[in-house]
Amino acid sequence: MERRTFLKRFLETILFISSALLFSYPVFAFLSFRKISRRQVVFKKGEGAEGIEFKDGVFLVPVDGKLLALSARCTHLGCTVNYDQVAQQFRCPCHGSRFDRSGRRIAGPARKPLRELPIKKKSNGDVEVTITF
Amino acid sequence: MSPEMHINRFSRYLPRLGLASLLLCIGSGIILSFQYRPLGNVFRNVEEITTLVPFGRFFRQLHYGSGQLFVLLMLLHTLEHFLKRRYRSFSGLQWTWLILSLGLCFFALFTGYVLKGDKEGLFAGNIFMNIIKTIPFVGDPVSRFFIVPGKDLLFLPYLYHILFLPVLIVFFLKDHIREWFPDRRFLFAATAGLFLFALFIPPRLDIPPNAPVPLVEGPWFFLGIQTLLKLIPPLWAGVGVPGLFAAGLLLLPFAGERLGRWIHLLLVTCFCFYALLTIRAFLFGP
Repeated sequence: MERRTFLKRFLETILFISSALLFSYPVFAFLSFRKISRRQVVFKKGEGAEGIEFKDGVFLVPVDGKLLALSARCTHLGCTVNYDQVAQQFRCPCHGSRFDRSGRRIAGPARKPLRELPIKKKSNGDVEVTITF
Repeated sequence: MSPEMHINRFSRYLPRLGLASLLLCIGSGIILSFQYRPLGNVFRNVEEITTLVPFGRFFRQLHYGSGQLFVLLMLLHTLEHFLKRRYRSFSGLQWTWLILSLGLCFFALFTGYVLKGDKEGLFAGNIFMNIIKTIPFVGDPVSRFFIVPGKDLLFLPYLYHILFLPVLIVFFLKDHIREWFPDRRFLFAATAGLFLFALFIPPRLDIPPNAPVPLVEGPWFFLGIQTLLKLIPPLWAGVGVPGLFAAGLLLLPFAGERLGRWIHLLLVTCFCFYALLTIRAFLFGP
């Protein structure tokens, strides 16, 4: 191949790759953009005082006289955990991870504890829990 | 009849019956799309299609049965060519398109499973999303190409299921299929068989999304992966192992005689192991 042809081919390839990259970034950024969403779950005054309450993806757990809000999303791969009244544990129906009452991991493939969610006490005694996802 | 003839007949029947199932699947899918809505209370919508809409149960089962049959026949068809080492006669690129389209067929089955909108479907969607997220650096943004959490969870799988995947599958297969309309005998056989299936076999009970059930099972072809997910990190069980298997399969026509034989043997071993995992999960739960 002559030097001139080689240079021409080389430049053309570089131009092609760089324009492809230049175009693929906006496409990538557009496709992968997502707004962070928030939603509130409200527990009425007195709920959670007797035992564990579940509402809309949130467990309200009384621990040592205080209320703890735990996300019901398993930290392994995002299934919703169930509360086992007898064993007093959270269990994931998908891959069998188990967590204790305060969300600490006991067994199974999950590595992290259940996510604790911020609680806000309202003036009328209701408890508002915020989930970000 | 000599055994050779039997094998030839088997080779001929599989893809032709598969094509007939694909046509029935597309037809019933088009019909279902007039009543199915991927947003809002999808579970309720699917239950209404099954119980309230006239012939809804029939079309749902026809779509389910034809889709499953099509992909199962494609898997057997590929397996047969693989075992007879027919990939040697394909150009590397042809083989790549075909394997890719088989992968897309399974993805179409999977998105269909998610679109049921019941507990199993929603969990499967979430698991799929979280597995992609475990890919280092690009996992999180790439997962949003396929599925996003929140109330629109089923929208992208829906788009893939009814638009991207059928178009891509047909595009990849177009040079591979000589005649797009299968022989009338095959079309008749598939129609008769699948109509009987849709008429007499009720759909599996869908689990309401809020029902607490002790065990949730994935679709049959992911039961092995569901078992693996209990044992090894999700990046390996969900991406690494299937990815290596696919890479081996794609490399076959490019590998030389000796290396090719090794890869072939390795793939057969992996396939048998996966089949055993699946059977075990069927019998004793994943």
